[in-house]
Amino acid sequence: MKIKALLFIAALGCTTATYAQESSPLQISGSVDTYYKYDFAKSANINTYFANEQNSISLGMIDLALKKTTGKASFVGELSFGPRGQSQSIPNAAGLYDEATNSFNIQNLYVSYAFTDKFSMTAGYMGTFIGYEVISPAANFNYSTSYLFGSGPFQNAGIKASYAFSDKVSLMAGLFNDWNVYQDFNGVSHVGAQLTVTPVTGWTAYLNVLSGRSAGAPGTGTIFDLTTAYQITEQFKLGLNAADYTVSNDNGGYSGVALYPQYAFTKAVALGLRGEYFNYKGVGTAADVSVASITLSANIKSGGLTFIPEVRFDSDKDFSQGFTKSNGINPAKSASQFSLAAVYAF
Amino acid sequence: MTCVVYANAQDEKLLPVDEQGKFIYYEVVTLKGTTQDSLKRRAINYFKNQNKDVQFKSAQGDTAFIATGKMIITKTLLVMSHPSGEILYRFQVEVKEGKYRFWLSDFSFIPYQRDRYGNFVASTTIGIPLEREPGKLNAGQWKEYQLQTATYAKGFAVKFKQVMASSNPRVESVPEKKVISKNW
Repeated sequence: MKIKALLFIAALGCTTATYAQESSPLQISGSVDTYYKYDFAKSANINTYFANEQNSISLGMIDLALKKTTGKASFVGELSFGPRGQSQSIPNAAGLYDEATNSFNIQNLYVSYAFTDKFSMTAGYMGTFIGYEVISPAANFNYSTSYLFGSGPFQNAGIKASYAFSDKVSLMAGLFNDWNVYQDFNGVSHVGAQLTVTPVTGWTAYLNVLSGRSAGAPGTGTIFDLTTAYQITEQFKLGLNAADYTVSNDNGGYSGVALYPQYAFTKAVALGLRGEYFNYKGVGTAADVSVASITLSANIKSGGLTFIPEVRFDSDKDFSQGFTKSNGINPAKSASQFSLAAVYAF
Repeated sequence: MTCVVYANAQDEKLLPVDEQGKFIYYEVVTLKGTTQDSLKRRAINYFKNQNKDVQFKSAQGDTAFIATGKMIITKTLLVMSHPSGEILYRFQVEVKEGKYRFWLSDFSFIPYQRDRYGNFVASTTIGIPLEREPGKLNAGQWKEYQLQTATYAKGFAVKFKQVMASSNPRVESVPEKKVISKNW
């Protein structure tokens, strides 16, 4: 009887506490994108990582996100449907990149609790903290993506703690699954951390590390990543991404650097360049191979809609990307393309 | 400061502009019989206890106080809602015997962008002055920001004047912890 009474009191207390919480409205947001690409050799050629269908008005994805905050607790749930958010980027419900059995995919699914203004913890499946570019086209300046983006993790499931030492310095550390999987079959195997530094107003740098041995991997993979952006003037922004990934026991990896200068002529019109050098580390005695890429994109905004006309030129001196000439057979050292994308964010 | 404020003939719902062509909310309030010292204490109380969105920056002498603040612009469509940006502003108060004046100025807009975790965050650190002509592509949206700012400034002024008019300013109440006792 006493237990029942205590449970009743506890329930009553919980109810009281719930009424005392500040609750924000449910946030609904997302994006829709579509594109046309024309490769000047009439081949799909550049496949990094999206916008790869030649001479076709093709689909990106529809992305739907929900967020709710009640008191100190919040959740985010974000689902995507369509090639960009499904078979081209993340695994389906069965953990496969298989177009035939593809289903909707989860971009974010996590809960978070802010213990104080400075300290919070988050658990679930989250967009990766590594790298400059992301899957959602609404958050990238260029529509096609970099080799660094395509090679790095897209999402990390895990549990992480974040602490803000000041307005200028904060630290995140956590335990994570293997890259891009809902379930880790060899146990929670990765550790990661992110140091965020804001040296001056407008300049933020993220120093990232993620290390662990994935299920079935020949060695422990460790990635060091620097992602930074500096809004130097109202019009000019400069971004940089540099990363090094190594799999132990000489099992390859990659390294690369990408620079992102962007200039806003007006609130609605901006031009941005991406210059990238990317190196695939050879496994064992195999030699390294490298590619270089330059991409010029415009962002023309009207309300929630952004048009992204883009030209891109990739140089592949080591023939690692399988570029072909216009006959579709002879290998080519370079590829170039034009694309026009429309992205609506709401 | 010499403050000449021009009413905006195009739309009275917008804030008026000052002699530099910048939006401003400006008001002089007379409180006969209230001392300068009392008004000063009420203003400081406002900065410290009454409005979390306002951050005290500096004082000029004993009678002028400067703060910065921000308001969140929320996009609402039927049941949908999420923040689309924030308006930063400067808030200044000057007190004298029996009267005070205050103004909100230097309004600038910072757009939000959804980050990789699904949260809306500032996409830049440098605000766009709210008076700036946005161009045809974003004219409707920009007008909405200007209207929301005007509504906010008017509401802000009402609450600030309430605090300044009260001889015993209300300190923001902290919800009491309810302890439910079953002893009887």
